[in-house]
Amino acid sequence: MKILAIDTSCDETAAAITFDTKIVSNKIWSQAVLHASFGGVMPNLAQRQHQARIDWVIDCAIKNSELKIKNLDAIAVTVGPGLGIALGVGINKAKELAIKYNLPLIPINHVEGHLLSPFANAKELNAKFPMLGLVLSGGTTMLCLVKNIGDYEILAETSDDALGEALDKGARLLGLGYPGGAILEKIARLGNPNKYKLPIPLINDVVKNRFSYSGLKTAFVRLFSTIKDPNKQDVADLAASFQNVAFEHVLRVLEFQSKNQKFEIKNLLAGGGVINNIELRKRLRLLAKKHDMRVSFPYTKKLNGDNAGMIGVTAFLKIKNEKLKMKNFYDYDSVDRNPRLKL
Amino acid sequence: MKIVKENKNAVDIVVDFLSNGKLVFMATETVYIAAVDATNPRAVLKLISFKNRPFGKPFSIGVTHINMAEKYVVLNKTAKDLYKRFLPGPVTVVSTGKHTVASGVEAENGTLGIRIPDYQFCLEVIKKFGKPITTTSANASYQRRPYKLTDILDNISEKQKRLIDLMIDAGELAHNEPSTVIDTTLDDELVILRQGDIKLKDKNEVLSRSEENTQNIAKELWQKYEEYSGKRAIVFCLEGEMGVGKTIFVKGLARAMGIKEQITSPSYDLLLHYSLLTNHQSLVHIDTWRMIEPNSEFKQLVNDNLINQKSVIAIEWANRIRSEIRKRADDAIIVWVKIKYAKNLTDRLISWGNL
Repeated sequence: MKILAIDTSCDETAAAITFDTKIVSNKIWSQAVLHASFGGVMPNLAQRQHQARIDWVIDCAIKNSELKIKNLDAIAVTVGPGLGIALGVGINKAKELAIKYNLPLIPINHVEGHLLSPFANAKELNAKFPMLGLVLSGGTTMLCLVKNIGDYEILAETSDDALGEALDKGARLLGLGYPGGAILEKIARLGNPNKYKLPIPLINDVVKNRFSYSGLKTAFVRLFSTIKDPNKQDVADLAASFQNVAFEHVLRVLEFQSKNQKFEIKNLLAGGGVINNIELRKRLRLLAKKHDMRVSFPYTKKLNGDNAGMIGVTAFLKIKNEKLKMKNFYDYDSVDRNPRLKL
Repeated sequence: MKIVKENKNAVDIVVDFLSNGKLVFMATETVYIAAVDATNPRAVLKLISFKNRPFGKPFSIGVTHINMAEKYVVLNKTAKDLYKRFLPGPVTVVSTGKHTVASGVEAENGTLGIRIPDYQFCLEVIKKFGKPITTTSANASYQRRPYKLTDILDNISEKQKRLIDLMIDAGELAHNEPSTVIDTTLDDELVILRQGDIKLKDKNEVLSRSEENTQNIAKELWQKYEEYSGKRAIVFCLEGEMGVGKTIFVKGLARAMGIKEQITSPSYDLLLHYSLLTNHQSLVHIDTWRMIEPNSEFKQLVNDNLINQKSVIAIEWANRIRSEIRKRADDAIIVWVKIKYAKNLTDRLISWGNL
């Protein structure tokens, strides 16, 4: 099944062509790309003006795929969660193309896209359900039980900040800019993660059915304010200590929940921008090994951040697995933005 | 439940009910209160279950005179000065308790808030009863302020209604603020825990001692402006360092508005919209933290629709878009809230004013 997928849920304008679980092309607008093609700096405001760049991104995705739009089987579009005005741009464009080429239009949940992104390029779906699914990004921190494609039970969600957001904020506090999560990771490698004591969030929580990062963030602000003129090593130690505790929280909730399921869990899916963090991957692998689980990440880094490839793969998996009929996806009016869409 | 009109004869009825450990609602110069015998543990448990709040959250008590207060708390000079200056009146003075009231009335740290209501009927009841009564407001936690009996009855469950034994109907009260709550137990300074009509400082500033406390302060602030809801947009502009508790404040605001959903940080999504099905109201939660050109991005994001729709808007890092907010000052009620770190780890100073 050949799909054009579009995602404009927040900052990124993204379009992709997928063929079953295979990513044929996966275009993401970034400022760097725009500089090159327009030869100038766009006003920062335009970062959220998907309107200006959506056509270009879709054209690129189609061109790179060497397919023709009329030969596609469907269009998939992210309808939420995300920023309403941003989602609207992608949805309107998707509708316009669906009408023009008389294609079915499949609405997709962005978080489900991250969740199923490890299935990209999977040759066959011999996956054993139920699995655990972990999505860690700037806007989402969520652990769920994947009973099947399309059948999920939330086990834990954040009650305040998302993990990616907390890392970005910690980075900004240390003067590492925004978004600083990736720089924080680099600097943390040079630091001692046990140098500073920070509280592991919800350490005494007996049910461990939520995440929380606001308390850790506050403790980090307090800690930072006590350090006079931090030098490079201090910053590295602070970064390492903060990241260590932030991850420890995820791992503790994950470990608790993995042992707490009725069925034996053999597989863990992990997606979202924070999954790019090598230290986190290492710790997830160790934990999985300890509990005789297999952890699956997306096959390429590009699929961790916001992108449309995962949306196309998710659309295919849902259609195939739920045996949905394409003829049911021609009611274009029913496809609408849902900024706080739940899984 | 029995309802009796407020008059001289009702005093004996109330005293009789209080003596039997019953829960009685009656008027004061501020709001309707939920009164029980503050020395009767079972009566206090009944009150806790009506208020629907966890054990350990204190209740203030009402007495008739400073001499009566001294049976229950230690009054230092600061406290005595406050009694002289303001009581009877809408001021609750927090002092170190003598542990002579029922468990659950004093705070966990052993302090106790006392007021002398400036309301004849209530004073007569306490005088005749001879013991202190609880003077907590008669609404359940996070429900609207009780200025008339229907404010209470319309907003509680059947189970809660069954807990009420007697209501003294004094009609609709003047819409006065709840009492100003002042902590006198710290030697070096007076600490305002709730700002009512009586002000001790030249600005509105209260101390929060916990996240729950911050949520509660947000609720009280909401109740000050709730009357504009649906008539004007109400914009709560939050200013304060990272990690100080801006999102916590919005959680309390949402809870007071009746929103049941989990409020999470909008830093990443920039804007999150919560609708109330009951009265078509909505809360729009915005965060400018990661905006690069916050003024123009905010303008694009809200598009003035939100102001015209008379929404309730809470903006974190509002100081980054001060000029855009100022432009809307004629069309919306703008409440500027500053949250600051304070001496103790969980303490926050919260101040507010209109723009």
